[in-house]
Amino acid sequence: MGEFFFNIDHGYLEALIRGFKGGILTQSDYANLVQCETLEDLKLHIQSTDYGNFLANEPGAITVGVIDERLKEKLVTEFTHLRNNALEPLATFLDYITYAYMIDNIVLLITGTLHQRPIAELISKCHPLGSFEQMEAIHIASTPAELYNAVLVDTPLANYFVDCINEQDLDEMNVEIIRNTLYKAYIEDFYKFCENLGGKTAEVMCEILAFEADRRAIIITINSFDTELSKDDREKLYPRCGKLYPEGLVGLARADDYEQVKQVCEWYGDYKALFEGTGPNPGDKTLEDKFFEHEVKLNVHSYLHQFHFGVFYAFIKLKEQEMRNVIWIAECISQRHRSKIDNYIPIL
Amino acid sequence: MGSLYRSEEMRFCQLIVEKDAAFSAVSELGKLGIVQFKDLNPDVNSFQRMFVRDIRRYDELERKLRYLEGQINKDGILIGGKLNDGDFTVMPTAELNQLEATLTDLERDVKNMHESDTTLKRNYQELHEWENVLVKADEFFAGGVDGAAQEEFHVQEEGADFTREKDPVEYVVGVIKRERILAFERILWRACRHTAYVRTSEIDEPFENPDTGEHELKNVFIIFYKGDRLRTIVDKVCDGFKAKVFKNCPHTSRDRQAAASDVRARIQDMKTVLGQTREHRFRVLQAAGNNYNQWLKQIRMQKTVYHNLNLFTYDGIGRFFVAECWVPLADIDNVREALERGVEKTGSTVKPVLNVLETHETPPTFNRTNKFTAVFQGIVDSYGIATYLELNPAPYTIITFPFLFSCMFGDLGHGILMALCGLYLVLKEEKLKDVTGEIFTMFFGGRYIILLMGIFSIHAGFLYNDLFAKSFNIFGSSWVNPYNQTEMMSWMQTEIATEKEMLIEMDPYTSYRHELGPYPFGLDPIWNIAENKLNFMNSMKMKLSVIIGICQMTFGVVLSYQNYKARNSKIEIFTVFIPQMLFMGCIFIYLCLQIIIKWLFFWVEPATIFGQRYPGSNCAPSLLIGLINMFMFKERNVGFINGTAVDAEHPHGVSYDACYLGQWYPGQSFIEAILVLIAVACIPVMLFGKPIHFIMERKKARREAGQRIEVARHGAPDTSVHANVLSGEDGEIAINGIEQKGEHVGSAGGAEHHDEEFGDVMVHQAIHTIEYVLGCVSHTASYLRLWALSLAHAQLSEVLWHMVLTMSFEFEFPWAVRCIVLYVIFFIFAGLTFSILVLMEGLSAFLHALRLHWVEFQSKFYAGLGYPFQPYSFKSALTLAEST
Repeated sequence: MGEFFFNIDHGYLEALIRGFKGGILTQSDYANLVQCETLEDLKLHIQSTDYGNFLANEPGAITVGVIDERLKEKLVTEFTHLRNNALEPLATFLDYITYAYMIDNIVLLITGTLHQRPIAELISKCHPLGSFEQMEAIHIASTPAELYNAVLVDTPLANYFVDCINEQDLDEMNVEIIRNTLYKAYIEDFYKFCENLGGKTAEVMCEILAFEADRRAIIITINSFDTELSKDDREKLYPRCGKLYPEGLVGLARADDYEQVKQVCEWYGDYKALFEGTGPNPGDKTLEDKFFEHEVKLNVHSYLHQFHFGVFYAFIKLKEQEMRNVIWIAECISQRHRSKIDNYIPIL
Repeated sequence: MGSLYRSEEMRFCQLIVEKDAAFSAVSELGKLGIVQFKDLNPDVNSFQRMFVRDIRRYDELERKLRYLEGQINKDGILIGGKLNDGDFTVMPTAELNQLEATLTDLERDVKNMHESDTTLKRNYQELHEWENVLVKADEFFAGGVDGAAQEEFHVQEEGADFTREKDPVEYVVGVIKRERILAFERILWRACRHTAYVRTSEIDEPFENPDTGEHELKNVFIIFYKGDRLRTIVDKVCDGFKAKVFKNCPHTSRDRQAAASDVRARIQDMKTVLGQTREHRFRVLQAAGNNYNQWLKQIRMQKTVYHNLNLFTYDGIGRFFVAECWVPLADIDNVREALERGVEKTGSTVKPVLNVLETHETPPTFNRTNKFTAVFQGIVDSYGIATYLELNPAPYTIITFPFLFSCMFGDLGHGILMALCGLYLVLKEEKLKDVTGEIFTMFFGGRYIILLMGIFSIHAGFLYNDLFAKSFNIFGSSWVNPYNQTEMMSWMQTEIATEKEMLIEMDPYTSYRHELGPYPFGLDPIWNIAENKLNFMNSMKMKLSVIIGICQMTFGVVLSYQNYKARNSKIEIFTVFIPQMLFMGCIFIYLCLQIIIKWLFFWVEPATIFGQRYPGSNCAPSLLIGLINMFMFKERNVGFINGTAVDAEHPHGVSYDACYLGQWYPGQSFIEAILVLIAVACIPVMLFGKPIHFIMERKKARREAGQRIEVARHGAPDTSVHANVLSGEDGEIAINGIEQKGEHVGSAGGAEHHDEEFGDVMVHQAIHTIEYVLGCVSHTASYLRLWALSLAHAQLSEVLWHMVLTMSFEFEFPWAVRCIVLYVIFFIFAGLTFSILVLMEGLSAFLHALRLHWVEFQSKFYAGLGYPFQPYSFKSALTLAEST
């Protein structure tokens, strides 16, 4: 039934987002971009795409940093427009998307403060989608409890933070743990939210979020080898909404090296394929790239359905991937490192 | 000036020009604006083209101009001059270099000024804030805030279990943006464990942000706290919230006041300095504003030239540029002259070459229009661009469009209103040209069509004898009152007695004065007051619509003949055009003739028509049922009268029961049977004629091909010689463009000659035939919209007249009040008339006329498969720049 009335509230935005999605760079755009000799060439070509004149008013020579900034700016403008026009429950859904960026920003700020960097410099590095009012006061906190009580208690992340409040102090290890705990709580909450929305949204989003959760679990496991993170602590960080839950996660918790992780994932058809194509040899893709490709595939597939919110999430994620691609190509061009320029993740 | 009859003949030309002279030559062509270049490097990326460096240079210049424009607009200076001022002289390179230098200097200057201005403003703002802080702090302390803070701390310490060391109470003052104040207070309260005491006060006047120029509201705050640890926290929070803290706030009220007056003096100084810099900046920007459009024009024009040069290719050694372009045949000499003029300017000795090439590509369609014909061409083009050299419906549309419109809109009064509006737009053309606004530009673009529609509506209004639902008796009605005075008086008596309106019946036999003849022009005014007005009008307008429609469709079919003739396609004339005409003629034109003959001959008086006795209007032939009977081959009585029997009751003879269904001219059944048979016979001809011809052609071609192979076997060397001659023709300059060209023509030609399958032809022809045959019926019915809309229009205007305006005549007030009422109601009437009857009805009649042209008329002959000729010209480039 939800589909019948979907367009009353969200039809405009869905149309808009599908229009935005049509502007995502195509294979032929990438083929042209990788041929560019200089960043000026890149600028000239990218102007003929949907990005339009977003670099036209930059005086002097452009740098990768400037491109990155403008790309983000454009995404933020689009997202803000969507958010301002959104009605419930889409508005909350869109807010959920920003929480991920907020978590990243918090972690970035804490790590930065640990290294005694000035707050103004750190703020400029934060992702604008995840900025919030109290963000700039983060550096007053020296323990997680302080962080919670003084800063985060008013933010939507407060609920996620409850689990980390007992950590003793903010060192690098703990910051990573905080990040992953927050992320775990966030994904589980988002998953639940989407499930409650029901309909196509639940169908599409749960698929994407389940993958996201599993990816995090696998990556956490692989990254935790040879660190002081104990297996019990590690298990606490796994988001419990993916396909790996519960048996797979138990397996991952016991894993001691990469091979064991691979073995656990062999049981799952989707992930088996991802592990198979990877390897340390030159020319092979890394596991991370494989994950990205799978994510892109899931996100693109969400556009095959109508009347659901997954397209909004997918758009932000695809755009993020596209920005990574453009920046990668731009970096390769500016550092004259052309041999790896083709290692971007094409968006189909 | 080419004619609108067909699009102009185009030639595919090759242009060879020396590299150094290319820019000048191409810019001359830009002034002319009649050349469309073909992209010879379709596979090359935009950033790998020849002149990408130049284009980038112009982009950079444009960026500088945009920056200047932003600054100029910010200062509220008007930009003088027009972008498209009709002068397309391209600035020489030296001047352009100078312009580049000027712009660079100007940008730097403006930037510097802006920066210093920002610094000044920032200082000014800081002083201003400082002043406010001093004043507000004074107010805080005057209000006893320190005492309150002390007390607060005291209470808290008492509540706490442990006793703290007696730190002195310290405070900071500062300024923060108003929208952040809530979060700021909350964070402070949490971070300091509820032991900071904060007071804020709003600063009334807004601050101007020195970077963005936006106005911001700010608050002064004062924070009391105890101890060093809290100080660092407070500092960090202030830092995070971008609150400005003033450390050296004097502690006593007197010091604060002294500092405040000192600050005020400095603010005054600052204001003078700010005023001076602003004035300087204004002068510089104003000078820039005056030149802005000239500069932008040059940059845009030159950039366009380079964009077109990017479509060129060059010969092997890089001395010559080669371009391919479409040029109207009539303008080839102009183009040649322009090229030579351009080359001469650079002092080059090598003359440019303009060769006409053979090509299999379809040329673009180019119709030269002027400001009058443009809108009609636009109507046609928005349906589809005419196929190359196809007959152009636009010239006929000039008359038929307003005519069909007026059939639906026919009202003298509304027509005059519309014509006046159109006339105003046409006469004030020059002045109104620059007015912007989407809706206005739409009306302005169609000003000539509005004028014509108005004039034609006046004409139609005369014909319908309709002016705001009233009629005029100009020539004197042919109808008279047949009754005498006493009869009339008695009727009036009964009318008063019964309080019922009585209608008098006017039998045409007695009250129509036949000797006066019909009303000389238009409709007899008597019908306006007749009770059966609608019946009469409907019948008349419906028949008129059918006649007009069939005329226009037949005209369309005749026009298709012109296309076949131009294509020299005899087969299409014989299997498409002639059967179509026959089909149309046998059924529909025959129907029209019947209508007209019925109008001319059949009346109430008995007469002898086509040698048959006609007893009176009860036997007037029914055309509709007649048409049905024609197809049913139904047996019908001959004539209207049964035999020759004449008795006293029937002085003209006894008529048949349904005498209106009889044959009304001798041999009608026979003639109609033949007409139907011809029409039906036309269908298979249309359906199979072309496909059969196609098969026969195929067979013939195959047979000939077989023979040619025979011949070729004997004379094989011939072809290679031929090829040598071809390649040697342009031997002096080895041009790689030529080779590409050769390939291209080859492939294009191949595609062209790739034979259509028989199935395609058959299906095509079947679709066309079905469309035509069914279309004849449905399109004829479609023309009835002329009647329907004119009926709706007349009814609406009658409603407005009777329900609105006449209302005001009926009030029985003193005359002064009635005048006022009439005055008010007239405005309502006028407003409704204009908005509903002229604007809305006009719009709907316009759309219906549009449809009748696009579908009913153009489907008979117009393919519309061409693509438009888009010549590169400075004028269009500048118009585009102006609109963005």
